[in-house]
Amino acid sequence: MELVLTALGLILAGGLVPLPMQRWSTGARATHIALLAAGCLTGMIGLFLTWNQEAISAFSCTWLQVLPLALALDSLTAVFLLPVFLLAPIVALYGYQYLDRDVSPWQTGAHQLCFSLLIAAMVLVTLADNLFAFALAWELMSLASYLLVLYDHEHEESRRAATLYLLFTQAGALMIFAAFGLLFQATGSFTFAQWGQAPHAVKLTAFFLALVGFGSKAGVMPLHIWLPHAHPAAPSHVSALMSGVMIKMGVYGLLRLYFLLDEPAPVLARTVLGLGMISGVLGVAYALGKHDIKRLLAYHSIENIGIILIGCGLGMLGIASHNPAMTAFGFAGGLLHVLNHALFKSLLFMGAGAIIQKTGCRHLDQLGGLMRRMPVTGRTFLTGSVAIAGLPPLNGFVSELLIYCAAFQGVRLQGPDALLAMAAILALALIGGLASACFTKVVGIVFLGEPRRPLSSPIAESGLSMRAAMIVLALACVLIGLWPEPFIRMALHGLRDLVAPAAGSPDPLGSLPENLALATRMFLAVFLLLAAGRHLVYRNKPVSQGATWGCGFTRPTARIQYTGTSYAREVVEFHQPFVKIRTVHKPITRIFPSLTHYASTVEDRAEIGLHRLLVAPILRVADKLRWIQHGHIQLYIGYIVLTIAVLLLVV
Amino acid sequence: MESVLSFGLALVLAPLFPGIILKVKALFAGKQGPPLLIKYWTLAKLLRKGSVYSTSTSFVFRLGPLVACATAIAALLFFPFAGKAPLVSFHGDVIVLFYLLGLGRFFTIAAALDTGSPFEGMGAAREAFFGTLAEAAIFAVLILFFRLNGSLSLAGYFSGTQPIAIAGPQGALLILAVVALFMLLLAENSRVPVDDPATHLELTMIHEVMILDHSGPDLALIELGAFYKLFLYAALIASLLKPAGLAGPLTGTLAFYALMAVVYVAIGITESLTARLKMNMVPKYILTSFALVFFAIILTVEIA
Repeated sequence: MELVLTALGLILAGGLVPLPMQRWSTGARATHIALLAAGCLTGMIGLFLTWNQEAISAFSCTWLQVLPLALALDSLTAVFLLPVFLLAPIVALYGYQYLDRDVSPWQTGAHQLCFSLLIAAMVLVTLADNLFAFALAWELMSLASYLLVLYDHEHEESRRAATLYLLFTQAGALMIFAAFGLLFQATGSFTFAQWGQAPHAVKLTAFFLALVGFGSKAGVMPLHIWLPHAHPAAPSHVSALMSGVMIKMGVYGLLRLYFLLDEPAPVLARTVLGLGMISGVLGVAYALGKHDIKRLLAYHSIENIGIILIGCGLGMLGIASHNPAMTAFGFAGGLLHVLNHALFKSLLFMGAGAIIQKTGCRHLDQLGGLMRRMPVTGRTFLTGSVAIAGLPPLNGFVSELLIYCAAFQGVRLQGPDALLAMAAILALALIGGLASACFTKVVGIVFLGEPRRPLSSPIAESGLSMRAAMIVLALACVLIGLWPEPFIRMALHGLRDLVAPAAGSPDPLGSLPENLALATRMFLAVFLLLAAGRHLVYRNKPVSQGATWGCGFTRPTARIQYTGTSYAREVVEFHQPFVKIRTVHKPITRIFPSLTHYASTVEDRAEIGLHRLLVAPILRVADKLRWIQHGHIQLYIGYIVLTIAVLLLVV
Repeated sequence: MESVLSFGLALVLAPLFPGIILKVKALFAGKQGPPLLIKYWTLAKLLRKGSVYSTSTSFVFRLGPLVACATAIAALLFFPFAGKAPLVSFHGDVIVLFYLLGLGRFFTIAAALDTGSPFEGMGAAREAFFGTLAEAAIFAVLILFFRLNGSLSLAGYFSGTQPIAIAGPQGALLILAVVALFMLLLAENSRVPVDDPATHLELTMIHEVMILDHSGPDLALIELGAFYKLFLYAALIASLLKPAGLAGPLTGTLAFYALMAVVYVAIGITESLTARLKMNMVPKYILTSFALVFFAIILTVEIA
């Protein structure tokens, strides 16, 4: 615990120390990264030292004489802290060369401070052990990330996205604090540990209230609306950190509350599982329809949160139905996917950032042929794509396999739970297929083929620090894929302090991790043998280059290539009416056609619904109440006096 | 040892069976048809040749055939041919197997997009869409098998004490599964009525159009991978059809390969008698197979 607190201090120093050094830009950036890395390394060492300790290490102090703050480091915290400590220095390293040099030094300094604050806040959220600590850390996290999204504040779009994000995060916090208030009222205690004694009805209400709040932070459909706006607006490394790590804090909050409440009612599990399936399938369906590369990745975050929730929901179902194997598989899969998604989603956002920085373009259909121009970015992005599609032999598959195993355990249950488990299997299969389709689209359209519009200048590979960050993450994806056993055990370790181990079954996972490792390595062996064979066959063979076979068409241009829009059209249309497609097209009517155009956009049903059901009525009412705002200060003071008087009389 | 032998036998024999399909189609057309060993000759011919690569392509284009073939071979590692224990088997191996095939599809599609050809893009888009639907249908089959026999591995399905087979106690349900699997076999291996391996019109193709630019040994790898994939699906159906009591090492193997031949003849007959579906009908076709399996699953719920 002491080491983790030292780490917090170092991380904060990483934001403060560079502030006076901003005139020396390189030095400030290097100091920022060095302090962050030192902090995170210290934190990681602290985690591993306490990894096998049975006792939960705790720390508490009183702030401003009245607010007791309590921190505790248990197994669930450790599992969620690991991606924070792992990703933060890598993301900062990428930011070293990604951030513009020509902005004012103060803006960079403020950015670095917010970055450090966000990381520190995430560490505190996972450590918090009472209401005050959690609330303060949660708000700090929201505000710091809001300021990070606002980095490009000259752009109208960025400001709008940041405001939308702030609205969502504050409304979500309102729900969470309402839930906490209910629990406090029922138990009279600020410490988390006491909340398990609340009455049944209060627990359920609090859980569902908090589900809305944590769900909006995590980006669960249909509370995800801020995500596809905020991620494209933020700088890419901030998107990487927010999407890779920060939204997982929503999942953490949900799991923490679930275990605190100790409420085995199956309705909680079913709700989480159902939300997971909706987020998963619709997230990837929308992702297929999006053409802005960062928006597409943002929708994939929603999909992956869906997968995580499916895993956790199945685990909860396992608890509700006293099936230890299902509990272990479900939670281990969900928690491992938290780490996996942090790795490959950060990697993909970094790749997207490199593309945008070098080409100045974020629309898929205008890119192409980048693999030969940016080989490192291309190869690492391909690795991340295979990983996020959940394909072996990379890490995404490991966690999905665990979740599949949990779902197949659930098929044995009785009644509606068995049906839900079957639906989860089908949803996972559909998500897997759609994610493959979506990432063949991204890789195929952006990196392969020929550039779809003439390049103004030759495109160079991205800078060294950016490449290094991407290579490290790609290697991590490969490592977990080929050597999954310790990571599966690590994810399962997250449950140690929360779920009592079942009697008689020392290892609920059986020999699955070892077998999976064996299978992936055998595949790798087959692949390498075949590659060697191919190499032998190709010796002394004539190999020549030529144009792509145009099927008899002799004058092909780069513009006749398939685009992302045409590639995904059929799949997206398949998901109607859950996905709304709007096309603007001037049909050809005469024999000699004039200039025509075609544009299609996919609109988010949740966004339309929110606007119609919530925003429009509020605006209408607000419009009617405009007369309250008249600018007379004496009447405003009158309002305040009146309100206080009424409150004093009534309450 | 027996496992290695049966795996090796499968690897060697897989290119033989597509010859049967060609023979059957030729018979229906009143022709003599190519020799049965035609596919071996094709492979030998391709392996002797060199390759032409498009200037648009990158290393992904060369990786595509390798991954497609390697995943298909790796998938066969899990299969208990004729009820013999496979080389690798564990609870959950079917999921690994079908995701490996998904990896093969990922790289085949990526290689197709790498050429920058609009036709290959068209084929790739279709493959991605239909493949997704087929994958969901296959997982429905896995749910059905799990409900019938409680195992999640191919060896558990076909070689335990209670193998899943038409001749078993729940054979009636399995008729639905066999029909659905046969439909999926046709869809996943680009046969008529979903795709036509013999067509020469690029606009109408799926798999063949994706590999237009591959040549020489790379094309041989793709062909080989396709043979193994088809072999795997046919072996699934043959294992379901296998009558009880043919357990001897020789008779079992012979019966298994005889059933395999029957499945390939059935493919040939289907291809001779049906026309290709319109592209917008293909999703309905795949979802029909899904509905069949789903119906079978509902029936297991009633039994339980």
